Amino acid sequence: MTRKEQWKKALWLYLYFAKVGCYTFGGGWSIIAQMQKDFVAKRGWTTDEELLDKISVGRSVPGTMISNVTLLFCYSQAGIPGAILGVLGIITAPVIILSILTFCYTRFRDNIYVARALVGVRAAVVPIMVVSMKSMIKSAFPYKLCYGVTLLGFVLCTFTSMSNALVVVLGGVCGLAIMRWIDASKPTAKTGKEG
Amino acid sequence: MVYLELFWSFVKIGFTSFGGISMIPLINHEMVGHGWMTLEEVADIVAIAEMTPGPLGLNCATFAGMRVAGLPGSLVTVFGVLSPTFTVCLAAAIAFEKFKNSKFLTNLLTGIRPMCLGMIASVILSQAISNYTDAGSPVWPAVFIGVLGIILLDRFKFTVPKLIVLSAALGLVLVR
Repeated sequence: MTRKEQWKKALWLYLYFAKVGCYTFGGGWSIIAQMQKDFVAKRGWTTDEELLDKISVGRSVPGTMISNVTLLFCYSQAGIPGAILGVLGIITAPVIILSILTFCYTRFRDNIYVARALVGVRAAVVPIMVVSMKSMIKSAFPYKLCYGVTLLGFVLCTFTSMSNALVVVLGGVCGLAIMRWIDASKPTAKTGKEG
Repeated sequence: MVYLELFWSFVKIGFTSFGGISMIPLINHEMVGHGWMTLEEVADIVAIAEMTPGPLGLNCATFAGMRVAGLPGSLVTVFGVLSPTFTVCLAAAIAFEKFKNSKFLTNLLTGIRPMCLGMIASVILSQAISNYTDAGSPVWPAVFIGVLGIILLDRFKFTVPKLIVLSAALGLVLVR
């Protein structure tokens, strides 16, 4: 990719994330679902596996999850210009809306119609997450043991206060163990590939 | 200098929290400690931040910056709260792209991907509890919108923005 093409794509990413930034509800998960629809299913720019990798990294390093995931994705698409413009895109709408609301927030907060609309918006977050997770499931389980890892992740995150970073590290350890076991149980396949 | 202090406060908030409500106690501490806001005002911020699009931390930063020092203040706080993204996360992105074809990283990811799905499942559960129930009893309009959402996304290939707008409209009509 030439420098000019890279900046062009970065600018496109800015506009894309500025647009979807208006719909960041449920801690940014709705954006991830929309990214999965637009970039995996529609455009084929990335895969479900790669998107999951970016969610894992984005949740394990400090900072807001969705700006981290946006940066990781945009960097993979258009380098540093993409990373910077993508993150600026995702924050544009929230920053403008909040800046305006500072002047009339009590009226907004106590408005009954706003509260009712929000019950609806919040109710949409779970279906959005469930449907995008459904399509990721197909790609995350090359081996049966991976189902066990998912169950472990769910239990750890639901019933303990273990930090995300630690859970991801544990996932990495499970991955190494699984691959070691797979490689050991299929020696012929391995030598075949290497030869 | 107030801008520098605001920036530093939100750099600390950004680096020591992992998103969402985990940053509220810290925001409390920084805002009240500097005498920039009262406890009630911080509670207001959190309420507003949850009612508007955007991640909670970013919204709190914008709001607090605006209240304390106007538009320049909000720019300073926003870049403060984003500082971990532009440093640690950028470094992670560069390293990730460089090593993504290595056998070791591929093996790690074989375990990390399913683990991440487990994390997402846990988030879905907590979201479902807070969005569909109120003090232990189900909120039927919300449950209805949730079921309708699954059908519209899965069968009718609705996009996310479309569903959010429709759900807001349904909320206006159905919630009493």
